[in-house]
Amino acid sequence: MNASDWLTSNVAVFGLLVGAAVIPNGVWRWLAVLAAARFDDSSPIFAWVRHVATCLVAGVVAQMMILPPGALAAAPPWLRWAALCLAGLAWLLARRNVFVAWIAGVCALMAGTALL
Amino acid sequence: MGLSHAPIAAFRQGAIGALKLPAWIVGASLMGVGPLARDVGFPFLGAILSTVLVWAGPAQVVFFATLGAGASVPAIALAVTLTAIRLTPMTASLMPHLRAGGASRATLLAASHFVAVTTWVESMRRLPALPPEIRLPYFFGFGAACMAVATCFTAVGYALAGEVPASIGAGLLFMTPTFFTLSLLRGASIRADWLAIGAGFALTALFGIWLGPAAALFLAGLLGGTAAFMVERAQSEEQ
Repeated sequence: MNASDWLTSNVAVFGLLVGAAVIPNGVWRWLAVLAAARFDDSSPIFAWVRHVATCLVAGVVAQMMILPPGALAAAPPWLRWAALCLAGLAWLLARRNVFVAWIAGVCALMAGTALL
Repeated sequence: MGLSHAPIAAFRQGAIGALKLPAWIVGASLMGVGPLARDVGFPFLGAILSTVLVWAGPAQVVFFATLGAGASVPAIALAVTLTAIRLTPMTASLMPHLRAGGASRATLLAASHFVAVTTWVESMRRLPALPPEIRLPYFFGFGAACMAVATCFTAVGYALAGEVPASIGAGLLFMTPTFFTLSLLRGASIRADWLAIGAGFALTALFGIWLGPAAALFLAGLLGGTAAFMVERAQSEEQ
Protein backbone atom coordinates (compact mmCIF):
# COMPACT_ATOMS: atom_id res chain seq x y z
CA MET A 1 0.00 0.00 0.00
CA ASN A 2 1.36 3.42 -0.95
CA ALA A 3 1.50 6.12 1.69
CA SER A 4 -0.46 8.42 -0.62
CA ASP A 5 -3.50 6.14 -0.27
CA TRP A 6 -3.69 7.21 3.36
CA LEU A 7 -4.57 10.81 2.64
CA THR A 8 -8.30 10.13 2.79
CA SER A 9 -8.72 10.65 6.55
CA ASN A 10 -7.42 13.41 8.82
CA VAL A 11 -6.28 10.99 11.50
CA ALA A 12 -4.26 9.05 8.95
CA VAL A 13 -2.73 12.27 7.58
CA PHE A 14 -1.66 13.29 11.08
CA GLY A 15 -0.30 9.82 11.80
CA LEU A 16 1.64 9.78 8.55
CA LEU A 17 3.08 13.23 9.23
CA VAL A 18 4.17 12.34 12.76
CA GLY A 19 5.40 8.82 12.00
CA ALA A 20 7.19 9.47 8.72
CA ALA A 21 8.33 13.09 9.16
CA VAL A 22 8.12 14.60 12.67
CA ILE A 23 9.80 11.74 14.57
CA PRO A 24 12.42 10.68 11.95
CA ASN A 25 13.40 14.36 11.71
CA GLY A 26 13.18 15.44 15.37
CA VAL A 27 15.02 12.45 16.79
CA TRP A 28 18.34 13.94 15.64
CA ARG A 29 17.72 17.12 17.65
CA TRP A 30 16.78 15.18 20.81
CA LEU A 31 19.80 12.95 20.40
CA ALA A 32 22.03 16.04 20.25
CA VAL A 33 20.61 17.45 23.49
CA LEU A 34 21.08 14.14 25.30
CA ALA A 35 24.58 13.56 23.90
CA ALA A 36 25.73 17.13 24.62
CA ALA A 37 24.70 16.72 28.28
CA ARG A 38 27.59 14.27 28.71
CA PHE A 39 30.23 16.85 27.80
CA ASP A 40 31.56 19.87 29.62
CA ASP A 41 31.19 23.26 27.89
CA SER A 42 34.97 23.49 27.46
CA SER A 43 35.17 20.14 25.64
CA PRO A 44 36.81 20.37 22.19
CA ILE A 45 33.90 18.29 20.86
CA PHE A 46 31.82 21.47 20.62
CA ALA A 47 34.37 23.15 18.36
CA TRP A 48 34.42 20.02 16.21
CA VAL A 49 30.61 19.75 15.85
CA ARG A 50 30.43 23.46 15.04
CA HIS A 51 32.80 22.97 12.09
CA VAL A 52 30.94 19.85 10.95
CA ALA A 53 27.66 21.79 11.07
CA THR A 54 29.16 24.75 9.16
CA CYS A 55 30.41 22.35 6.51
CA LEU A 56 26.99 20.68 6.33
CA VAL A 57 25.18 23.98 5.81
CA ALA A 58 27.52 24.82 2.90
CA GLY A 59 26.81 21.31 1.60
CA VAL A 60 23.05 21.86 1.82
CA VAL A 61 23.47 24.99 -0.34
CA ALA A 62 25.59 23.09 -2.86
CA GLN A 63 22.88 20.46 -3.10
CA MET A 64 20.16 23.03 -3.65
CA MET A 65 22.29 24.43 -6.49
CA ILE A 66 22.96 21.01 -8.04
CA LEU A 67 19.52 19.42 -7.45
CA PRO A 68 17.21 22.45 -7.28
CA PRO A 69 13.86 21.98 -5.52
CA GLY A 70 10.70 22.55 -7.62
CA ALA A 71 10.46 25.93 -9.32
CA LEU A 72 14.17 26.77 -8.91
CA ALA A 73 14.83 24.29 -11.73
CA ALA A 74 13.41 26.97 -14.08
CA ALA A 75 16.78 28.75 -13.76
CA PRO A 76 19.64 26.96 -15.60
CA PRO A 77 22.61 25.70 -13.49
CA TRP A 78 25.06 28.38 -14.68
CA LEU A 79 22.58 31.11 -13.73
CA ARG A 80 22.07 29.65 -10.25
CA TRP A 81 25.83 29.59 -9.56
CA ALA A 82 26.38 33.00 -11.19
CA ALA A 83 23.66 34.60 -9.05
CA LEU A 84 25.10 33.01 -5.91
CA CYS A 85 28.61 34.29 -6.76
CA LEU A 86 27.14 37.71 -7.48
CA ALA A 87 25.56 37.75 -4.02
CA GLY A 88 28.98 36.95 -2.49
CA LEU A 89 30.63 39.68 -4.54
CA ALA A 90 27.91 42.19 -3.62
CA TRP A 91 28.50 41.30 0.03
CA LEU A 92 32.17 42.27 -0.29
CA LEU A 93 31.41 45.46 -2.24
CA ALA A 94 28.54 46.54 0.02
CA ARG A 95 30.76 46.49 3.14
CA ARG A 96 29.50 43.08 4.22
CA ASN A 97 25.84 44.10 4.22
CA VAL A 98 23.89 40.83 4.08
CA PHE A 99 20.54 42.36 3.16
CA VAL A 100 21.87 44.30 0.15
CA ALA A 101 23.81 41.25 -1.10
CA TRP A 102 20.81 38.99 -0.62
CA ILE A 103 18.52 41.29 -2.65
CA ALA A 104 21.19 41.55 -5.39
CA GLY A 105 21.52 37.77 -5.72
CA VAL A 106 17.79 37.03 -5.71
CA CYS A 107 16.99 39.86 -8.17
CA ALA A 108 19.75 38.68 -10.53
CA LEU A 109 18.29 35.18 -10.55
CA MET A 110 14.73 36.39 -11.12
CA ALA A 111 15.76 38.77 -13.90
CA GLY A 112 17.90 36.11 -15.54
CA THR A 113 15.12 33.51 -15.44
CA ALA A 114 12.56 35.99 -16.81
CA LEU A 115 14.84 37.09 -19.69
CA LEU A 116 16.02 33.64 -20.80
CA MET B 1 20.46 46.39 28.17
CA GLY B 2 18.97 46.93 31.66
CA LEU B 3 15.45 45.72 30.87
CA SER B 4 16.62 42.75 28.82
CA HIS B 5 17.65 40.83 31.92
CA ALA B 6 14.02 39.87 32.44
CA PRO B 7 13.15 36.72 30.44
CA ILE B 8 10.04 38.26 28.86
CA ALA B 9 12.03 41.22 27.58
CA ALA B 10 14.64 38.83 26.18
CA PHE B 11 11.94 36.76 24.48
CA ARG B 12 10.59 39.94 22.87
CA GLN B 13 14.08 41.06 21.92
CA GLY B 14 14.64 37.72 20.19
CA ALA B 15 11.33 37.95 18.35
CA ILE B 16 12.11 41.50 17.18
CA GLY B 17 15.58 40.43 16.07
CA ALA B 18 14.03 37.66 13.98
CA LEU B 19 11.41 39.96 12.44
CA LYS B 20 14.12 42.37 11.22
CA LEU B 21 15.01 39.87 8.46
CA PRO B 22 15.68 36.20 9.31
CA ALA B 23 12.03 35.25 9.97
CA TRP B 24 11.03 36.48 6.49
CA ILE B 25 13.75 34.39 4.90
CA VAL B 26 12.70 31.26 6.78
CA GLY B 27 9.16 32.15 5.72
CA ALA B 28 10.10 32.50 2.06
CA SER B 29 11.96 29.19 2.17
CA LEU B 30 9.00 27.33 3.66
CA MET B 31 6.55 28.98 1.27
CA GLY B 32 7.64 26.41 -1.31
CA VAL B 33 6.38 23.62 0.95
CA GLY B 34 2.77 24.76 0.40
CA PRO B 35 2.60 24.06 -3.35
CA LEU B 36 4.54 20.78 -2.92
CA ALA B 37 2.03 19.55 -0.31
CA ARG B 38 -0.91 20.60 -2.44
CA ASP B 39 0.55 18.85 -5.51
CA VAL B 40 0.55 15.47 -3.75
CA GLY B 41 -2.98 15.93 -2.37
CA PHE B 42 -1.98 16.69 1.22
CA PRO B 43 -4.67 18.71 3.09
CA PHE B 44 -4.15 22.40 3.98
CA LEU B 45 -4.00 21.78 7.74
CA GLY B 46 -1.46 18.99 7.26
CA ALA B 47 0.79 21.27 5.20
CA ILE B 48 0.72 23.95 7.92
CA LEU B 49 1.31 21.38 10.65
CA SER B 50 4.33 20.07 8.76
CA THR B 51 5.97 23.50 9.15
CA VAL B 52 5.14 23.72 12.87
CA LEU B 53 5.97 20.12 13.80
CA VAL B 54 8.81 19.18 11.42
CA TRP B 55 10.41 22.64 11.17
CA ALA B 56 13.08 21.65 8.65
CA GLY B 57 12.74 22.64 5.00
CA PRO B 58 14.77 19.79 3.46
CA ALA B 59 12.89 17.15 5.51
CA GLN B 60 9.54 18.60 4.45
CA VAL B 61 10.53 18.76 0.80
CA VAL B 62 11.71 15.14 0.87
CA PHE B 63 8.58 14.03 2.75
CA PHE B 64 6.20 15.48 0.16
CA ALA B 65 8.35 14.51 -2.82
CA THR B 66 8.66 10.84 -1.78
CA LEU B 67 4.99 10.76 -0.81
CA GLY B 68 4.13 12.04 -4.28
CA ALA B 69 6.39 9.42 -5.84
CA GLY B 70 4.28 6.70 -4.20
CA ALA B 71 6.83 5.45 -1.68
CA SER B 72 5.96 3.25 1.32
CA VAL B 73 5.82 4.71 4.85
CA PRO B 74 9.17 3.18 6.00
CA ALA B 75 10.87 4.40 2.80
CA ILE B 76 9.56 7.94 3.40
CA ALA B 77 10.69 7.87 7.05
CA LEU B 78 14.16 6.68 6.01
CA ALA B 79 14.54 9.38 3.35
CA VAL B 80 13.41 12.05 5.86
CA THR B 81 15.74 10.88 8.60
CA LEU B 82 18.75 10.97 6.27
CA THR B 83 18.15 14.69 5.58
CA ALA B 84 17.88 15.35 9.33
CA ILE B 85 21.24 13.94 10.51
CA ARG B 86 22.76 17.39 9.98
CA LEU B 87 20.54 18.67 12.83
CA THR B 88 22.65 16.76 15.39
CA PRO B 89 25.93 18.73 15.05
CA MET B 90 23.93 21.95 14.69
CA THR B 91 21.90 21.35 17.87
CA ALA B 92 24.88 20.02 19.81
CA SER B 93 27.05 23.06 19.02
CA LEU B 94 24.30 25.37 20.30
CA MET B 95 24.01 23.58 23.64
CA PRO B 96 26.90 25.30 25.49
CA HIS B 97 25.22 28.65 24.71
CA LEU B 98 21.64 27.60 25.49
CA ARG B 99 22.43 25.84 28.76
CA ALA B 100 24.69 28.64 30.03
CA GLY B 101 21.84 30.03 32.15
CA GLY B 102 21.22 26.67 33.85
CA ALA B 103 18.29 25.25 31.87
CA SER B 104 16.66 21.86 32.62
CA ARG B 105 16.90 18.90 30.26
CA ALA B 106 13.20 19.23 29.35
CA THR B 107 13.56 22.93 28.50
CA LEU B 108 16.56 22.21 26.29
CA LEU B 109 14.67 19.43 24.49
CA ALA B 110 11.84 21.88 23.83
CA ALA B 111 14.30 24.55 22.65
CA SER B 112 16.00 22.09 20.32
CA HIS B 113 12.82 21.92 18.23
CA PHE B 114 13.54 25.43 16.92
CA VAL B 115 16.95 24.46 15.50
CA ALA B 116 17.00 24.83 11.72
CA VAL B 117 19.69 26.29 9.45
CA THR B 118 18.70 29.95 9.77
CA THR B 119 17.98 29.85 13.52
CA TRP B 120 21.26 27.99 14.04
CA VAL B 121 23.45 30.34 11.99
CA GLU B 122 21.89 33.41 13.57
CA SER B 123 21.99 32.04 17.14
CA MET B 124 25.64 30.99 16.89
CA ARG B 125 26.38 34.63 16.04
CA ARG B 126 23.95 36.37 18.41
CA LEU B 127 23.88 34.27 21.60
CA PRO B 128 27.56 34.56 22.67
CA ALA B 129 27.14 38.36 22.81
CA LEU B 130 24.21 38.12 25.26
CA PRO B 131 24.38 37.62 29.06
CA PRO B 132 24.12 33.83 29.71
CA GLU B 133 20.85 34.01 31.68
CA ILE B 134 18.86 35.58 28.83
CA ARG B 135 20.16 33.44 25.95
CA LEU B 136 17.47 30.79 26.26
CA PRO B 137 14.45 33.16 26.32
CA TYR B 138 16.03 35.12 23.45
CA PHE B 139 16.35 31.91 21.46
CA PHE B 140 12.72 30.93 22.17
CA GLY B 141 11.53 34.38 21.04
CA PHE B 142 13.67 34.20 17.92
CA GLY B 143 12.45 30.70 17.03
CA ALA B 144 8.80 31.42 17.78
CA ALA B 145 8.78 34.53 15.57
CA CYS B 146 10.42 32.61 12.72
CA MET B 147 7.89 29.81 13.09
CA ALA B 148 4.88 32.16 13.21
CA VAL B 149 5.95 33.95 10.01
CA ALA B 150 6.88 30.71 8.25
CA THR B 151 3.54 29.07 9.09
CA CYS B 152 1.71 31.99 7.45
CA PHE B 153 3.98 31.74 4.40
CA THR B 154 3.37 27.99 4.05
CA ALA B 155 -0.37 28.74 4.09
CA VAL B 156 0.05 31.48 1.45
CA GLY B 157 2.18 29.15 -0.69
CA TYR B 158 -0.51 26.47 -0.48
CA ALA B 159 -3.20 28.95 -1.51
CA LEU B 160 -1.15 30.45 -4.37
CA ALA B 161 0.18 27.14 -5.77
CA GLY B 162 0.67 27.34 -9.51
CA GLU B 163 -0.38 31.01 -9.76
CA VAL B 164 3.09 32.62 -9.65
CA PRO B 165 5.22 33.20 -12.80
CA ALA B 166 8.20 30.83 -13.16
CA SER B 167 10.83 33.55 -12.56
CA ILE B 168 9.21 34.65 -9.28
CA GLY B 169 8.83 31.03 -8.18
CA ALA B 170 12.52 30.38 -8.90
CA GLY B 171 13.47 33.58 -7.05
CA LEU B 172 11.47 32.57 -3.95
CA LEU B 173 13.27 29.24 -3.76
CA PHE B 174 16.63 30.93 -4.39
CA MET B 175 16.21 33.17 -1.31
CA THR B 176 17.15 30.39 1.11
CA PRO B 177 20.45 29.13 -0.38
CA THR B 178 21.55 32.74 -0.94
CA PHE B 179 20.80 33.68 2.66
CA PHE B 180 22.51 30.54 3.99
CA THR B 181 25.64 31.37 1.98
CA LEU B 182 25.74 35.00 3.10
CA SER B 183 25.13 34.01 6.73
CA LEU B 184 28.08 31.62 6.55
CA LEU B 185 30.29 34.33 5.04
CA ARG B 186 29.29 36.80 7.75
CA GLY B 187 29.89 34.24 10.49
CA ALA B 188 33.34 33.24 9.25
CA SER B 189 36.19 34.75 11.23
CA ILE B 190 39.09 32.28 11.38
CA ARG B 191 40.86 30.29 8.64
CA ALA B 192 39.14 27.08 9.78
CA ASP B 193 35.69 28.62 9.10
CA TRP B 194 36.60 29.34 5.48
CA LEU B 195 37.94 25.83 5.09
CA ALA B 196 34.69 24.34 6.44
CA ILE B 197 32.61 26.44 4.03
CA GLY B 198 34.76 25.72 0.99
CA ALA B 199 34.97 22.01 1.76
CA GLY B 200 31.19 21.85 2.25
CA PHE B 201 30.59 23.16 -1.26
CA ALA B 202 33.37 21.27 -3.02
CA LEU B 203 33.11 17.88 -1.31
CA THR B 204 29.30 17.70 -1.47
CA ALA B 205 29.41 18.40 -5.20
CA LEU B 206 32.28 15.95 -5.75
CA PHE B 207 30.93 13.06 -3.62
CA GLY B 208 27.43 13.58 -5.01
CA ILE B 209 28.61 12.24 -8.37
CA TRP B 210 29.28 8.78 -6.88
CA LEU B 211 27.36 8.50 -3.66
CA GLY B 212 24.02 10.23 -4.16
CA PRO B 213 22.90 13.34 -2.26
CA ALA B 214 22.33 12.05 1.31
CA ALA B 215 25.58 10.09 1.72
CA ALA B 216 27.58 12.83 -0.06
CA LEU B 217 26.37 15.48 2.37
CA PHE B 218 27.04 13.31 5.40
CA LEU B 219 30.58 12.39 4.32
CA ALA B 220 31.42 15.93 3.20
CA GLY B 221 30.33 17.33 6.57
CA LEU B 222 32.33 14.78 8.51
CA LEU B 223 35.54 15.16 6.46
CA GLY B 224 35.37 18.92 5.92
CA GLY B 225 34.38 19.62 9.52
CA THR B 226 37.14 17.43 10.92
CA ALA B 227 39.74 19.05 8.64
CA ALA B 228 38.61 22.51 9.78
CA PHE B 229 38.76 21.42 13.41
CA MET B 230 42.33 20.17 12.95
CA VAL B 231 43.37 23.43 11.29
CA GLU B 232 41.87 25.39 14.19
CA ARG B 233 43.74 23.27 16.75
CA ALA B 234 47.04 23.57 14.86
CA GLN B 235 46.59 27.33 14.65
CA SER B 236 45.83 27.78 18.33
CA GLU B 237 48.91 25.72 19.23
CA GLU B 238 51.10 28.04 17.14
CA GLN B 239 49.97 31.05 19.18
